This record gives sequence, structure tokens and C-alpha cells, in this order.
Amino acid sequence: MDVFNSLWLGLGVAMQPMNLLFCFAGVFIGTLIGVLPGIGPVAAMSLLLPITFNITPEAAIIMLSGIYYGSMYGGSTTAILVNIPGEAASVITCLDGYQMARQGRAGPALGMAAIGSFIAGTLAVVGLMLLAPTLARVAVKFGPAEYFSLMVLGLTILVWLSQGSIIKALIMACLGVVLGLVGIDSITAMPRLTFDQMQLIDGLGLVPIVMGLFGIAEILNNLEQRLDREVFQANVKGLMPSRDDWKRSAGPIARGSVLGFFLGILPGGGAVISSFLSYAMEKRLSKTPERFGKGAIEGVAGPETANNAAAGAGFIPLLTLGIPPNVVMALLLGAFIVHGVQPGPLMMTQNPQLFWGVVASMYIGNAMLLVLNMPLIGLWVQLLKVPYKILFPMILLFCVIGAYSVSNQVFDVYLMLGFGVLGWLMKKFGFEPAPLVLAFVLGPMLENNLRKSMILSQGDFMMFLERPISAVCLACAVLLLVSPLLPIFNKQRKQLATEES
Amino acid sequence: MRPASHKLARRTLLGSVLALPAIGSARAQAWPARPVTLIVPWPAGGSTDVSMRAMAEAAAKHLGQQVVVDNKPGAAGTLGGATMAATARPDGYTIAQMPISMFRLPYMQKTSFDPQKDFTYISNLTGYTFGVVVKKDSKFQTFKDLIDAARAEPGKITYATPGAGTTLHITMEQIAAAAGVKWTQVPFKGGAETSAAVMGGHVSATADSTGWGPLVDAGELRLLCTWGGAQTKKWPNVPTLTELGFPIVSDSPFGIAGPRNMNPVAVQKLDEAFRAAMQDRAVLDTLEKFDMAPRYMPTADYIKFVNETIAEQKVLIERLGLKTS
Repeated sequence: MDVFNSLWLGLGVAMQPMNLLFCFAGVFIGTLIGVLPGIGPVAAMSLLLPITFNITPEAAIIMLSGIYYGSMYGGSTTAILVNIPGEAASVITCLDGYQMARQGRAGPALGMAAIGSFIAGTLAVVGLMLLAPTLARVAVKFGPAEYFSLMVLGLTILVWLSQGSIIKALIMACLGVVLGLVGIDSITAMPRLTFDQMQLIDGLGLVPIVMGLFGIAEILNNLEQRLDREVFQANVKGLMPSRDDWKRSAGPIARGSVLGFFLGILPGGGAVISSFLSYAMEKRLSKTPERFGKGAIEGVAGPETANNAAAGAGFIPLLTLGIPPNVVMALLLGAFIVHGVQPGPLMMTQNPQLFWGVVASMYIGNAMLLVLNMPLIGLWVQLLKVPYKILFPMILLFCVIGAYSVSNQVFDVYLMLGFGVLGWLMKKFGFEPAPLVLAFVLGPMLENNLRKSMILSQGDFMMFLERPISAVCLACAVLLLVSPLLPIFNKQRKQLATEES
Repeated sequence: MRPASHKLARRTLLGSVLALPAIGSARAQAWPARPVTLIVPWPAGGSTDVSMRAMAEAAAKHLGQQVVVDNKPGAAGTLGGATMAATARPDGYTIAQMPISMFRLPYMQKTSFDPQKDFTYISNLTGYTFGVVVKKDSKFQTFKDLIDAARAEPGKITYATPGAGTTLHITMEQIAAAAGVKWTQVPFKGGAETSAAVMGGHVSATADSTGWGPLVDAGELRLLCTWGGAQTKKWPNVPTLTELGFPIVSDSPFGIAGPRNMNPVAVQKLDEAFRAAMQDRAVLDTLEKFDMAPRYMPTADYIKFVNETIAEQKVLIERLGLKTS
């Protein structure tokens, strides 16, 4: 009952007209920056941080949080419509979301992404409210060894879930890891693969790579085709998900929420990992895995739900331990301290009105986002009717602005164009960009944690097997890799194939 | 109504009189004509970042232009300065926070920058409060317990730092050398990760700036010692290193610098703006929240201090045998 009293207190704070206004401003800005490719919540929040100095701490945190989870809603929009992920966590959404749009089903894809996001966002707040202190304590049990093994499992799944040749996916994943090595090494501070080029000291930016491989490559690819709009406008089948869509998506949404929530609590990369783990899980559990990659709504509902749940869960270590699990949360920690509040174990008792006010505002913000996003779907789908000769230059312009705005370096624009050409060639030869991007994100984390583990264990590799969480992750990875070789699995797979035909 | 409009008229008049001489020297006065980028080589939200943001805001008021903080974390806080030295124009529109590792890393390994040649030093600003924490249920009640354990099993005691070659790393090794023990560093990326590492029991202890504060106050972590010249205001019962018999004061003062051969007008203006910022109430309040003491030095003093520090670091690194190349 105590929780409900507290929530009541929180609602009192969140429902104050001023706070409602800032909540709306936050989710509205969040939606906008989520939709614009390349412009992420970090940039928007750092720009707006100084503005919050003059408002109450409650209003400031409510607005900044709103920007964050609002941007998670918007991130799927461009992924579905034009195959450009709004952020790394939406890379997976491209696979089936864009195919759905090609089949005239952009509306249901966007709708299901928004509804899934709403459900996940709300469940994450419930989890935050009820389980936060306990879970945060479990999350710190994840040390370098556990992270390493989780990354190994992640990279394995990445190759395993790819559509075509496993060799080609492996090549892409390796390329991604190598690209991730560029820059100053995080353990000893030595430059690697920088060829004495100072632009490479910082490493390669994620945004130019993602927008090049997906956005620019897509445009180049389309330019080769006839310039009329194949299926896009021909048959836009409804804006809302159908009964069948709902039936297919219920499971993925439920599983995605739980998976995203738990991975989101872990410091580092929760949203990205959870989105593709969810995709892999849905593909494995599906009775018709061959539909994936060709416009399966499960492939949109699951990952989009998972990354929103992860975004919500990311608040847990920050609010209960004062430990920010990602860059956005670190920025939020700064905002708290500037307003004279130290997030940590004492916050719930010392600043209950702030803690519960922010939690309650997330319920309201999520509802606002749903109301805001559902009518927008019609508008976004209309965008597809814009002729290519207008749409392509516009996408190109947004990509260039996005790539430039992240680092303010023209180098990144060239980098993006270079990766655009690479992406176009990859498509021609049947290589997929998703394994490359995800390996690029996970590779450096894998290396950093491996080396920290080795320091901790004094070079003893047994550490990875002696720690239970780590051992389970590695065992799963091995099982996935050998499963095609084992006769039992192979037989099952063949059986499945014959039943379907 | 009358007094108000009278006052307004007078202010306008005063304004135009003041503006007159400015027109003559408009060319020299033109700096800054656009926002200044301040590179902070630490993750957003840490103590350095938040205090630099407060200073940036206060300095912006005096410059009449925004000072935009750009976080470029990595490589023990040298990534930002190294990038600036290599890519930024010396027009004063790109400056960077200079952590002490900028003067130290070149003696530990090959770096792409030379702290003596590649920068134009502007002003020194402040320093940190450092301390060593262990988990609440750790068997180490005092700092002496930790040292004794390291003596009993050389290399077995591990400590997290926010990066290799940081003051935390060096000072921990200085202590080990003074006590004649051996322990093992585990470099993380920034403060947030080090707190999680000690909370989760992955390392025996964490040496970091006051990011551990709320966890210490909540009784989750135990603060064994602080490294300042005197006890801290917030944790007055915790001994300093000096009190524990190690004559070491470690607060890692930092300032700001631009690329070499920077526009002297910009140097002067930035020094003035940051001196004013160091007297700003909001900045002082922010520094207080992180237990940082203001330590402003004007350009000339800062250059002298930098040269002394560089010489001192060379000796320290060689004596501790941290040189890898």
C-alpha cells in the first residue's frame, strides 16, 4: 500500500499544470528528434540542460526524461518508412519494418511500434516502481566477465539470426569489429588503426556509418531501378494494425517488454542488445521463421517494445544507486546534481516528491506519446506518396545534416558517403549491413571487458566459466554455433521445412 | 511613468556613449563572434563535466557568446585535448579542459601531442577531491587494512580507476611504493562504472573523485581516506593520506587551454571570462557540491605551473616505473 501512497504523492506533483506542460514539451521534442535521423537525445538534452536551470527540479527532470523516452518512440519511424534507423536500437526494426512499408503496410508497422512502445514504457515504469531497489543490486553483479560473455552471446546471435549465408554475416561482423577498433585504445590509451590521421583518433562515428550503410545505400540502390513507385503508394492497406497483426504481436510485445526491462538495467548498451535479442527470440519461437526479413510484424513489435522497455529500465540504476547506465542517464545525473539533488539510495526518502513525481510523470508521458503518435501515423504514411525525385534529395539532406551535427566535422559527412557506397556494393553482393553495425557497437565493449577481466583474473581464462552468469551466456553461444551441426537439430529443421511446404 | 521613462532614456544615452569608442576598435573587439566550443574529455554528468558546464555558462555571460560543452571522453582524459591539438584552428573558438593526465601520458607512452609545445594555456580553475572506497560489507575497515592485505598477498588486491595514467592510478601506485606493497589497477571509463564495479564486488576498492558520495552517505560504500590537504567538509571524520603517514596531497588541478599559437586576444578574453566565472555564485555552489576547491590562476601563473608539473610528472613516472615504451 505504501507504493500506492507514494504514487499518489507523485501524481500530485506530475499533474501540476507546469509539470504537465514540461512533460508534454519533453515528449514532443523527443518525438521530433527521434524522427530526424542522426539527431539523438544526447544532443537535444545537452542543448536544453541550461534552460532547465531556471525551472523547478521536478519540471526539469520530467522534461529531460520525456525527451529521452520520447525519442525512443520516434526512432522507429524513419527505419520503417525509408530504411534509415533513427538510432542504433532501431537497426533491427529496418529488417521487417521497411519490408512492411514496401508492401503498403507502413501504417500497421508504425501503429504496432507505437502501441508496443506504450505497453513497454508503461510496464517499465511499473517495474521501476515496484522492483527498482532490488534489481539495481542484482545489476551490479554484472562485472567485466559477465559483460564479456553477454557480448559473445550477442555477437553469436547476430550472426545466427542473419538471413542469408552465415559466412557472409561472419565477414560483416568481423569487419564491424575491426572498424570498432579504430581510435585510441581504452585500456592503455594507444592509438590503433589511425594511420596518423587525427580524425580517426576519436574512432569512427556510429551515426555516419549507420546512415551511410542504410540510408545512402538505399538511395543509391533505388536510383538503379525504374523511377516509378512500385508498391509503395499502390496499395496502402489500412493505417491501423489488423486483428491478425494484434494476434501475432501480443507474444512479441510481452516477451520484448520483459527482456528489454532486464537488459536495460545493466549498465552499457542495454537498448541495442535487447532489440536484436528480441528479434532473434521471436524468429526462433515463430512457427514461420521464413517470414522474418520479408515483412513480419513480429519483427517490428518485439524489438521496438524491447528497446523502449530498456529505455525505461535505464532509470533504475540512476535513481536507486546514482549510477548512470548510459550516456543519456549520465546527462540526467548531471541535471539532478545541478538542481541540488543527488540521485542514489537516499533519494527516495530525501526527495520523495521528486522521485515519485518523475515516476508518475512517465505514466502520463507515455500516454501523451501514444495520443501524439497515433494521429501522426497517417501523416507519416502520406510521406511515402511524395515522389522519389523530391524524397531522395530530402533524405540525403537530412543524412548530411545529421552526420555533420553529431561531430561538427565535414570528415563525418565524407565518411557517411563512403559507407553509402560500401553499403550499395554490399547489397549487390548479398552482404547485410546489420551484423556490421551491431558488431561495430558491441566489439569495443567486448574487447574492453575482456581485457578488464584478464586484469582481474590475472590472465586466467577460467574466470569466464567459474562465474555462473558468464558460463550460461557462453554455453548458449556454443549451443547456437554447433546447433546446425547436430543431427537432432538438423532433422527438426528439415521436418519443419517439409511441414511448411 | 515619468521616472521610468527618464531612466530608460538615460540608459539608452549611456549605452550609446559607451558604444562609441567600441566602434573604433570593432575589429579587435570582434572576438568572440560565434559560440566557443569547450571540449570536456570526460563523460557527460560526471563531476568534471557538471562543474565545467557551470563555468561555461558563467563565462558565456561575460563573453556574450555561448560556450558549448562537447564531451569527448576516453584515453584517461587526453582524447579531447589530443583531438583539439590536431584538428582545431587556434582562433579561440575551440578550447579544452586540461586534466593532469595531459602532462603525464607523454612520459608513459607515445602520444600524438606534446603538452609543452602543442597548447596555449589560458587559466587554471580548480581541483578534485579524491578518495578510496570499499563495499559496506568489505573486511577492510581502514585504509591500513587494505594496505596490509596487499602486503600479505602481492597483486591480489584490485582497485578500479577511471582510466590508466589518471591521478587516481598514479597516486595509488605512489602509495603502494611508499608502503612497499603491490596491488593491481583495473582501468574503467569514467566515474559511473567504478562505483558499480566496487558495489558489485568485482574489485576490492575504487579510487575515484566524489562520484561515490551518495553511496557513501547511504552506507553502501565505506570511505577509507581522502587525498586533499585537509579533511573534507562533507566527511570530516575520514582521514587524509597525510594523517595516515603518507606525505601525499593529490587533487589533480585542472585548467583550460587552446591549440598552440592561439589568437592572443582570445586568450585574454577567455582568461577574463573564466576568472569572472570562478567568482560566480552558481559556479562556487556547484564546485561545493562536488567538494572541489576553486584554484584560479591567471595565464602567466598557469604556464609556470604547467611547466613545473610536466617536470614533476616525468620524475614521478620514471620513479614508479610506469613507463611502458
